[in-house]
Amino acid sequence: MIDQFALSQAFDLLFSSYAPWLWVIPGLLIGLVFGSIPGLQISMAMAVFLPVTFGMDFLQAMLFLTSIFTGGAYGGGVTAILMNIPGSSSSIATAFDGYPMARQGKHNEALGIGLAASVVGAFVGYILLMLLIQPLAAFVLKIGPLEMVVVVLWGLTLIATLNDSRMSKGLLAGFFGLMLSQIGMSTTGVMRTQVGMPYLIDGLPVVPAMIGIFAASELLRLRGETYLVRDETQRDISFGRILKGAGETFKYPGVLIRGSLLGAVIGAIPGVGSSVANLVSYGEAKRSSKTPDRFGKGAPEGVVAAESANSSSEGGSMTALLALGIPGGAATAVLLAAFSFHNIIGGPSFIRNQTDIVYSIILGNLGQVLLLAVLGLLSLRLLGLVVRVPLSYLVPSVLAMCAWGGYGITGTIAGPLTVAGFAALGWLMRRHDYPVAATVIGLLLGRMMEGELVRTMQISRGNPLGYMLERPIALVLFAVMLLVLVGAPLLRAYRKHRSARA
Amino acid sequence: MTGKPVTARFQATHAALIGIILAVSGFITWSAVNARASMDNLIVVAPVAAVIALICVVLVVAPMLKARVTEAETEATPDSAIWGDILLLAGFALFCYALTHIGFDLATFLFVWGGVVMSGGKGWWQPPLFAAVFTVLLVYGFGSLFPYPMLTLVL
Repeated sequence: MIDQFALSQAFDLLFSSYAPWLWVIPGLLIGLVFGSIPGLQISMAMAVFLPVTFGMDFLQAMLFLTSIFTGGAYGGGVTAILMNIPGSSSSIATAFDGYPMARQGKHNEALGIGLAASVVGAFVGYILLMLLIQPLAAFVLKIGPLEMVVVVLWGLTLIATLNDSRMSKGLLAGFFGLMLSQIGMSTTGVMRTQVGMPYLIDGLPVVPAMIGIFAASELLRLRGETYLVRDETQRDISFGRILKGAGETFKYPGVLIRGSLLGAVIGAIPGVGSSVANLVSYGEAKRSSKTPDRFGKGAPEGVVAAESANSSSEGGSMTALLALGIPGGAATAVLLAAFSFHNIIGGPSFIRNQTDIVYSIILGNLGQVLLLAVLGLLSLRLLGLVVRVPLSYLVPSVLAMCAWGGYGITGTIAGPLTVAGFAALGWLMRRHDYPVAATVIGLLLGRMMEGELVRTMQISRGNPLGYMLERPIALVLFAVMLLVLVGAPLLRAYRKHRSARA
Repeated sequence: MTGKPVTARFQATHAALIGIILAVSGFITWSAVNARASMDNLIVVAPVAAVIALICVVLVVAPMLKARVTEAETEATPDSAIWGDILLLAGFALFCYALTHIGFDLATFLFVWGGVVMSGGKGWWQPPLFAAVFTVLLVYGFGSLFPYPMLTLVL
């Protein structure tokens, strides 16, 4: 599986000079800053700093850009934990339990868990990438729209488990999100309503909607309270407690490994990637937990599942880029641009002819993950200070940043207005115990599902079931999904019934 | 749960939420059907609209079938808190709209000042000073990272 000669050359490329590492720490810091400010996207940071790589050699450029990617993925999780603002769609599930933990005064532990799970997840993702890049590439090539439909459906099933009170409320919230995803031009080019705003031709912008419904609505609810953490004695930033949290991650090895594996595999699917991986991983952790009721109320396993999956999906997303030259998302599209800057074309010939460079990139990323652990620990003391800011100052400041973030993503008034509209919707939903996360999931996956469903119907000539029988990967994915969704609860109920009788 | 029995009622804000969901879903469905009533265009809209309508009926009818509920089950949030939230929400919406109309700097300064006062910030000089410093930091820090032009009035 591993070309030993190329691997030794990769070590030589990386460690015979300090030059490849020169830009890694600045890259990680840029990623942490962009990831932790609502509205600044990782892909935006990579695009802004892409011209800087023109004067670098290829390996140096790749390590710089991927370090922004790595730092940004973790930075998004920090704001999800401390302020309920997921920096990107890949951190949605981190907020589900991370923020309740912070509100209970366990912000140090939550940040530590997030950091450790991210580091382990990213590590597993890149190790898998190194071992399995060729078979994974073959797998990615066999993924068609039907397989994507199954994966997206898997992500959508999380909606049914996100219920603050009644199942009907969770379903209504999720289906409303799906409905909102249908605004703007359809995937087949039919112009539906744009709600009078030409900016919405491509649909509602998901990240501003997410900022509005999660953050702004929560901030409105916090108005009138004094601090994020009510108990004054809990407001300190303790290095020891962060480390204790990091250690606590390893109390859940099953959740950690499953999250990392799910993230790596789902992350390899172009266009789906980390947005779905963290949701599927969280859903599976909740479903398989002996105490699912704790989820959403500050369960450490929830943070472990979400962070391990979104970090390992980074390695997965590199599969299609390196092996096939296909970018799986905005961030990898910028990496592809860096490829062309340096006259390199990704794909099978790249892997075959420049295996040493491919291994260098992967090994370099493993090194970045270790550096992230150190930098993350150092920066958490600074980022965690937010719990000491009085809410009377924090609420309007972060609300203003939310609106600015909406503008930063769209570049038009549609961004801030989407934030405001979804803040109002989120406020109403939270008042009546509707899970706002379900609406975001529906909005995020609705358009993806529509496109893949239409393509499946076209390819199958209107017979998707017959078509499924010809697609072994889709069949296996579907069977696994059914087994997990229906089989596991049935088995648990059966065991419970038997033990009750005994 | 020992409150005295009262007649079941559907809270006004909950009714407003369900009304908004139904109205928005109805409008999107109408717009999609009008644009093209083909399967590829309605593959998500039509089934989702049907499910939303069904769930809304369940959510509206279920409390009515529960003839009486106890007072302890009804909402306990005081009206003043709701109106405070609505006022801040309206201020936030106005701020979002004003960003590109009166300038990011002035809109942010006014919103943060007003927001701090509404959220219980004490003193007559601290809120405007904080708002001014925060605005300058935001314009020269956050704003410089924007890849788009940003309208400002003063800075």
